[in-house]
Amino acid sequence: MEVLRPATLAEALEARSARPEAFPIAGGTDVMVAVNFDRLRPEAFLDLSRLDELRGWHEEDGEVVLGAGLTFARIERELASLPALAQAARSVGSPQIRARGTIGGNLATASPAGDALPALAAYEADVVLGSAARGERRVSLREFLLGPKRTSLEPDELVLAVRFRSPHGPGSFSKVGTRNAMVIAVASLCLQLDEDARAVRVAMGSVGPTVLRATEAEAFAARALAEAGAFDAAAAPVPAATLREFGQLAGAAARPIDDVRGTAAYRRHAVEVLARRALSWALEGRPAGRRAAG
Amino acid sequence: MAQTAERVVGTEVRRKEDPELITGQARYSDDLAAPGMLWMKLVLSPFAHARITSVDVSPALQVPGVVAAFGGRDLAGEWAGPLPTAWPVTDDLKNPPMYPLATDEVRFQGEGVAVVLAESRAAAEDGAEAVVAEYDPLPVVLDMEEALKDGADLVHADLGTNASYTWTLTNGDVDAVFATAPVVVKERYVVQRQIPAAMEPRALLAEYAPAMGEYTLTTSTQIPHIVRVVLAAFVLGIPESKLRVRAPNVGGGFGSKIRVSPEESLALVLARRTGRPVKWTGDRSSDVLTTHHARDQIQEIELAADEDGRIRGYRTRLIANMGAYLLLVGPGVPLLGAFLFCGPYGGEAYHFECTGVFTNTTPTDAYRGAGRPEATYAIERAIDALARRVGRDPVEIRRMNFLPESDGPIPSPGGLTVDSGHYNGTLDKALELVGYEELRAEQRARRERGDAKQIGIGFSTYIEMCGLAPSRVLGSLKYAAGGWDAARIRVLPTGKVTAFVGVSPHGQGHATTFSQILSDDLGIPVDDIEVVHGDTALAPLGMDTYGSRSLSVGGVAVHRAADRIVEKARKIAAHELEVSEDDLEYVRGRFSVKGAPDRARTIPEVAFSAWTAHNLPEGVEPELDASAVYDPENFVYPYGAHICAVEVDTETGQVDVLRYAAVDDVGTIINPQIVDGQVAGGVIQGIAEALFEEAVYDENGDLLTSSLTNYEVPAASDVPSIRIDKTVTPSTTNELGVKGVGETGTIASPPAVINAVVDALSHLGVTEMARPATPERVWRAIQQAKGGAA
Repeated sequence: MEVLRPATLAEALEARSARPEAFPIAGGTDVMVAVNFDRLRPEAFLDLSRLDELRGWHEEDGEVVLGAGLTFARIERELASLPALAQAARSVGSPQIRARGTIGGNLATASPAGDALPALAAYEADVVLGSAARGERRVSLREFLLGPKRTSLEPDELVLAVRFRSPHGPGSFSKVGTRNAMVIAVASLCLQLDEDARAVRVAMGSVGPTVLRATEAEAFAARALAEAGAFDAAAAPVPAATLREFGQLAGAAARPIDDVRGTAAYRRHAVEVLARRALSWALEGRPAGRRAAG
Repeated sequence: MAQTAERVVGTEVRRKEDPELITGQARYSDDLAAPGMLWMKLVLSPFAHARITSVDVSPALQVPGVVAAFGGRDLAGEWAGPLPTAWPVTDDLKNPPMYPLATDEVRFQGEGVAVVLAESRAAAEDGAEAVVAEYDPLPVVLDMEEALKDGADLVHADLGTNASYTWTLTNGDVDAVFATAPVVVKERYVVQRQIPAAMEPRALLAEYAPAMGEYTLTTSTQIPHIVRVVLAAFVLGIPESKLRVRAPNVGGGFGSKIRVSPEESLALVLARRTGRPVKWTGDRSSDVLTTHHARDQIQEIELAADEDGRIRGYRTRLIANMGAYLLLVGPGVPLLGAFLFCGPYGGEAYHFECTGVFTNTTPTDAYRGAGRPEATYAIERAIDALARRVGRDPVEIRRMNFLPESDGPIPSPGGLTVDSGHYNGTLDKALELVGYEELRAEQRARRERGDAKQIGIGFSTYIEMCGLAPSRVLGSLKYAAGGWDAARIRVLPTGKVTAFVGVSPHGQGHATTFSQILSDDLGIPVDDIEVVHGDTALAPLGMDTYGSRSLSVGGVAVHRAADRIVEKARKIAAHELEVSEDDLEYVRGRFSVKGAPDRARTIPEVAFSAWTAHNLPEGVEPELDASAVYDPENFVYPYGAHICAVEVDTETGQVDVLRYAAVDDVGTIINPQIVDGQVAGGVIQGIAEALFEEAVYDENGDLLTSSLTNYEVPAASDVPSIRIDKTVTPSTTNELGVKGVGETGTIASPPAVINAVVDALSHLGVTEMARPATPERVWRAIQQAKGGAA
């Protein structure tokens, strides 16, 4: 099997355009599993692991820009200011996998269980795609993720980066799985409070064809928090019934299936619990926050 | 009288094995190569049950690098017989033949149908993909209980049944006891199928020397001696003397390498046919299908008791999944637990019966504990059920039912003669170690607060039988071989020692342990002792490693051979010192004249004299060399108390092991560090068995859990705080007083964990818990107890 090894991003985009059958590979933590299981037999690989342009992260125009080649190990280490994303990164595989696996790979693989995707969805991130012919374009995550393992990436394009406005407010990522770690989630959830926009954003993994936003739950929570005065005063109490209803709305937004890892009914229940707890943690986690009824 | 050295038995001698393991210099089967070798790859059936309509290997022969390819029929003439089972447990056992490759029908997903040889591993893989095998699917048999019903689809049509055998054991008047007992508890448990996942998949290199007609097989096995006799005599039909089997460094086994495999058989035959060495290394994807699976029992256990909870009788019915064929000891695995469904408890009547059933699944065989974890699971859960019924505490019900405490042999309801045991001793220590009162207080507090996360405490006061095994007992159980083991000790002219042993380690640390025994016996430093194992040409006598036998059988043989060295050395020393043998005192390697301690000879001095042979006493042969073969009179019976504390999230069903205490009595301890390592490893394996490991097939017999992504072996992050301690009650079975420790952890821990999960939820009315206790199962159990539909 042929392996193309471009040394620069420009060479990589040229190669991508000239050889669309060459399958892009970065950390290889998803791709090589697919090859091992005989689900993927590309004629060639396009190795992106040498591209310095994709490897880092920076801030630009008030946004955080994560290069597609940024590894989960670096996110875990360097992006503690984005706790939900850092928690998600920490829950990916083992330390060895996190040292190889990249956020661009998580996006391009587009698994419903991709650990970083709920956080990116809750951050309302955009994906930056590039091609030799047309340059860069920017699409929302929702436009990018079309379904299980399906994206709007064109055959001559590569994922270059993902970018979002750093949210002001607490956030968390949690998941339910069989083992403590190194496990594909049965259900996962990211909740992010956006105190500037007075919004609550909730995104769920492993409970639908792709990462799902629980928009009704979000709107309900934003209203309820506003009514309780919780956006203005961290100490303002939020009734337990509100948290429960929020959880139920999140559960209702799930579109889970039965598979070897869990049934649809359990997955729906699990995101209900995760959503309720996540909102409760978010309220507790603010400066001068007080314990919300759980 | 000065001692020549401090005793090293009982001390934490650093493992001699580790330097090469941790520096990556150890050589495993896959590290080996031979000039001109070919790579072998098998073509496996994707179907669980199908008629093979055609196998066309010709496309494979077109693949560059492929040298030869064969379908099952092409090789049918090569076999002296099918791959045998060594344990036909009943006279009327149904034992359908399994050959290295299927010819007409495949009966489990992963059964081999063709084999390809190529110049490289990649070419062999490509060649195997090019083979065109066509199948006509047949009905798939998966459910054990359905399989036993009249009119069920059959795995082996010609047998007319899916039942392989029914084996029974009865002690005492069981019916009378159950008819008169005021309390009868009846429980049903399903012990789910496991995939033993040794870190090193199976691998081998087969060589053939045509001029001499000699075969050499280097294979990742636990049982080189058994492989040799079985392959030579039954599968290949060649003289045993023409086959040498070597087990190099072996990266774990846990029973999964107690196997005489299709791959070993094929590689030897193909090495002869091609005249070139043949190498095969299993990958994880084929390993999960082709290496045997384990456990997979449906258990019904009944306890008859007095109103206060004193147990009077035991009645157990098992259905045990054999998979598609009977493997080497597969049918006997449930029998290894047959005597232990009473745990360490008393009673007057005992009945056990087991039916082995065929299904279209990977065949099952031994896996760490083999039969004993299953038995322990049943009794340790059932005694908790009895405690709930009669309103007693789980500690109390165990204490009132323990067998009499004894330093000597005591009969058990299962018909065993237990060597020694003080069951309250291990339980007392474990209660203290785990912080029982503190845990119960925390449990009460959380219940009062109605916390989402509740605490549970689970017990397993187990006993096991190991040190396999007295040959006469094996004979009475229809096992086809003996249970003895052998050692040969040679003291070299320079006073260094080489010990040739018949047991075959794969990670346990035998070289260190045996060196410690020999060091004390012969006064030779541990570093001056080499232990040679795993090669039938160097250590021709042996029965290999399984069933926690290496120390309690093989180690005793080592010790006895050392005694014979001392016996011979005494003659030579007495001769040289010109005194009678009775006038010599022997302490750790040094003979001295009673009353004149400066007149002495050491073992190295005597070894040199024995080698030069210039001045040996009349009738004494040169060389300081001795052998011993030890056949135990009885099993050994490790026991102990394991207590597990879990935190259960009652909303998500997630279980976290908070704390685990293991107090075992494994008799005399040679190396505490090795013993603790065995306990910890076994406990972790058992926790995984209780909480997440489960082999799952879909309705077509496709193995869904076919990778380590969804067959979840424990990871580092799953290892809880394990507190380990011991009591020491020497075994009365052997003179070392040792009991064996290789399997205690996996035997003890699963019921401790599940009992803890049930205990955490008992205030919600939960009494049943399927295993593995995944978050979803735990959540469903809570919903069910609440009376709601989950």
